[in-house]
Amino acid sequence: MAAPVIVAAGLVKDYGRTHALRGLDLQVNPGEVFGFLGPNGAGKSTTIRVLLDLIRPTAGQVSVLGLDPRRQGVELRRRLGYLEGDFTVDGRQSARELLTYLGRLRGSVPPSRIEAMAEELDLDLAPRIHSLSKGNRQKVGLIQAFMHDPELLILDEPTSGLDPFLQQQFTRMAREAVAAGRTVFMSSHVMSEVQKVADRVGIIRDGLLVTVHSVESLRESSTRRIEVIFADPPPPGTFDGVDGLRDVRLDGPVLHARLDGRADALIKAIAGLTVLSLTSEEPDLEEIFFEQYANGRAERRAS
Amino acid sequence: MIRTVYAKWLWDSRRSLLGWTLAILFVGCGYAAFWPTMNNEELQELLENYPQAILEALNYTDIASPEGYLGATVYGLIVGLLMIVFTVAAGTRTIAGEEEAGILDLTLSQPVSRVSMALQRIAAVITAIVAIVAVFWLAMLVLAGPAQFEDIPAARFAAMHLHLALFATLFATLAFAAGAATGRRAWAYVVGAGAALLAYALSGLLPQLEGLEWVKDYSAFTWLNGSSPLSNGADLAHLGIMAGLSLLFVAVGTWAFRRRDVAV
Repeated sequence: MAAPVIVAAGLVKDYGRTHALRGLDLQVNPGEVFGFLGPNGAGKSTTIRVLLDLIRPTAGQVSVLGLDPRRQGVELRRRLGYLEGDFTVDGRQSARELLTYLGRLRGSVPPSRIEAMAEELDLDLAPRIHSLSKGNRQKVGLIQAFMHDPELLILDEPTSGLDPFLQQQFTRMAREAVAAGRTVFMSSHVMSEVQKVADRVGIIRDGLLVTVHSVESLRESSTRRIEVIFADPPPPGTFDGVDGLRDVRLDGPVLHARLDGRADALIKAIAGLTVLSLTSEEPDLEEIFFEQYANGRAERRAS
Repeated sequence: MIRTVYAKWLWDSRRSLLGWTLAILFVGCGYAAFWPTMNNEELQELLENYPQAILEALNYTDIASPEGYLGATVYGLIVGLLMIVFTVAAGTRTIAGEEEAGILDLTLSQPVSRVSMALQRIAAVITAIVAIVAVFWLAMLVLAGPAQFEDIPAARFAAMHLHLALFATLFATLAFAAGAATGRRAWAYVVGAGAALLAYALSGLLPQLEGLEWVKDYSAFTWLNGSSPLSNGADLAHLGIMAGLSLLFVAVGTWAFRRRDVAV
């Protein structure tokens, strides 16, 4: 496998007596969307600010794109795009003025690229930024992060408070970037924002990475509520010993139950019966997320 | 075509710079134009009857000549003070102001080093100072005839304005350094304004006290006009002190900024 894009080892950041990071280990591989999940104050932004060399760790090693942020920050920032959740700029300039300047500062962004991205996102570049809505301001932020087609995108809560259209646009942009071989590292405190776009999710809590899972395996290991309506009440014992099925409640011809993991065993068990309808809820990864939390500092796993 | 942090700062500050230029022209030329009125015997006699200590505290000891009047009132007081307000505000905004407003992150996430960013910003402020002082110099040359101080040569004015530019740079770099080192707007203002007050006290009030005459040499106001550049030309020692301290402030501020965490 190619060298990881982000490596952090034993990252510690103290602010006086508060410990923002307490030995965080992290690895992000090329070509993936990595969701960095945790509640506010868990250390997400602190980690991201260390990666960008905005703050310096108290202890630990960091390498981003094979570079040391501290000593090779200019080269590093040339190759990455960064968006903070609350994108704040001097609002007296127009979006076009700001983006053109940032493009020239980077030296590699033609104005036509900015115009095209703005059109895709349905953003008017002419008004001054302070007159834009929060959503439109965040679009400016998305453009400045993506416009130079960086190898790595570091996005701190990029979609918090955005409308569904923009969330969808963001998911598309992130997916396109990954399809082009880029890597996306994004933080969020809401699982539902991450699960749509991320390949792997790392959960941070109290300055430590608690667990890392692929979204697929989280889905597989998750519990979903199911409801099956049969033509006739199923014979007793049909659901005994069905793998993953629990909390079985038969209500005449209607089965209510919870299903852990794969649906295969259940489907085979009811294959001989007449099924009128089968409903399976989308697994609630948020729930799993909180389970991971409840388990607290259980052993750290890397997938 | 704005493609540097330096040019961007100047462009973004264009309205504020225009405002300050007009303010300094208006007030500076206004006071200078007052010279023909001041230049009458009755008023001079009145002033002579003032206690010497008060005149010294106000630096009004040589107010009978146009050089003395302009030096003491225009440059040594009103324009000097306006320049301090302008430069402390501008020096603060370079780093601490933007940091507290939360807009520094964007610049620092670009492929620009902190040292380069800091130096480009303070260079932009110094450029603005030079521009304002130069425009004011031209205005004074134009005003010289009508306001009856045409006997002072343009080169003497140039020397005076060189002192003014370095005086302003001194306060700009001090506020820059305090803000760059701490990231706090309040510290930059307090240090800048505190230094101005101290300098004023050192040049006017404190030297009146027995045995404290020597403190005058340590005041920025003395370095600005103590040697009367309008009468005597540039004072290299005073210019050197101001330039040297400015360089020191820039170096210390940039060094500290490079080392520290940037606030969210």
